[in-house]
Amino acid sequence: MNSVYSNWSNIFIAHVKRDILTNSRSLIDLISIVGFMILIIILFPLGLGPIKEKLNIVSNAVIWVGLILAIIPSLEKLLQKDFENGWLDQIATSPIPLEIIMLSKGISYWLIMLIPLIITSPIFAILLAMDLKNIPWLVISISAGSLAISLIGLSGSALILGARRGNILLPILIIPLMIPILIFGVGVNEAIKINASPYGNLFLLFAFTLIYLVISPFISALLVRIAIGR
Amino acid sequence: MLYLKDLTIQRGNKIVFSNFNAIIKSGSTTLIKGKNGSGKSTLLRAIAGFTPLERGTIKRDNKDIFKNNEEWVENLIFLDTKNGLSKDLTVAENLNAWLTMKGWSSNKEIIKMALKSVGMEKYAELYISQCSEGLKKRAALSRLYISFINKVDFWILDEPTNELDTTSLVLFKKLVFKFLEQKGTIIIASHDQNIIEKNFYTLDLDELKKQRVS
Repeated sequence: MNSVYSNWSNIFIAHVKRDILTNSRSLIDLISIVGFMILIIILFPLGLGPIKEKLNIVSNAVIWVGLILAIIPSLEKLLQKDFENGWLDQIATSPIPLEIIMLSKGISYWLIMLIPLIITSPIFAILLAMDLKNIPWLVISISAGSLAISLIGLSGSALILGARRGNILLPILIIPLMIPILIFGVGVNEAIKINASPYGNLFLLFAFTLIYLVISPFISALLVRIAIGR
Repeated sequence: MLYLKDLTIQRGNKIVFSNFNAIIKSGSTTLIKGKNGSGKSTLLRAIAGFTPLERGTIKRDNKDIFKNNEEWVENLIFLDTKNGLSKDLTVAENLNAWLTMKGWSSNKEIIKMALKSVGMEKYAELYISQCSEGLKKRAALSRLYISFINKVDFWILDEPTNELDTTSLVLFKKLVFKFLEQKGTIIIASHDQNIIEKNFYTLDLDELKKQRVS
């Protein structure tokens, strides 16, 4: 049995590698995400005025909402490309369960598209005049929250496979699912601001991430099977 | 032997097959013929396990193939008009990704041999986005060579020769011949009658449907 699972992990890593390789060849998605995020960070101070206290109040929420909005356009293509070129059909003839492959897709998406945002988030926070003591908590909460967001996005992406104008439908379908992540993610830093313990919110955020980590691969695999069976 | 028994397959709202019966002999080639829209691709996708069956069973040696789906798809190579190649990767990288996806070992030597079998060794480093349709098809067909290294029992090919020139067609026929020698089973859907020269069975979907009506 042991060899079976080591084989699974090899195939899992191979899928992640392939996804990273394909995405590294066309960086347009990544550039659009980071560019969109920077735009949001620039636009908010312009709208609110340059008063530091005002910015400090909204900074946390702006980064979280910006993150969610910035990745929505790229989610549509997460599975669409592979669906159109027939790779999903090939994946269906893989000896490992489709659920595992879907998990690899969600994780590779997180590695490629969201790690750059996590790394740059302290810069965004400073630009929005966030207190320095909040920044480590922002990075921790965004790291966990963004994994949940990419997994929700994966299911959404699987849902619109083969649908016409799915890109319009997608945000309406998946943003409501991201609300708990947003509430607890923002809550971590809001607790720090009033000198309360952030752990309650943080652990709930972790819990939601784990829930999506478990259910999203199953939902996505089911939806992909329906899409290739049509 | 592959027994297709009382198959009813629905695609969207349209019933493509109802109570369809057929036998596919192992160790030989079965050519599926039929007009456009007669359901050739649907039948192949159903055998591969992509399109779910509304009713009926597909049995191999008295075992339902979808009962142990992993075992069935593991020894299967499926190829249709969508080649399953990422245009951001090179020909060799695509083959490597496919090999590891199937859980088979992959190295430069294997990839070189596979590409050579379809006359693609010169194009190994070419990106798929730069390939012509014929080259893409050959890059996809290079997977067939892997059957001679790993255990593969079935090829399911949907219009494999559409974009091929005469030289590649000869190479393709060589691969088919070699696979039959090791007792492999090939199911091909094509409207090209001359794709296989000898020793094949035909499954004419138009004829079968006509018989049912009369």
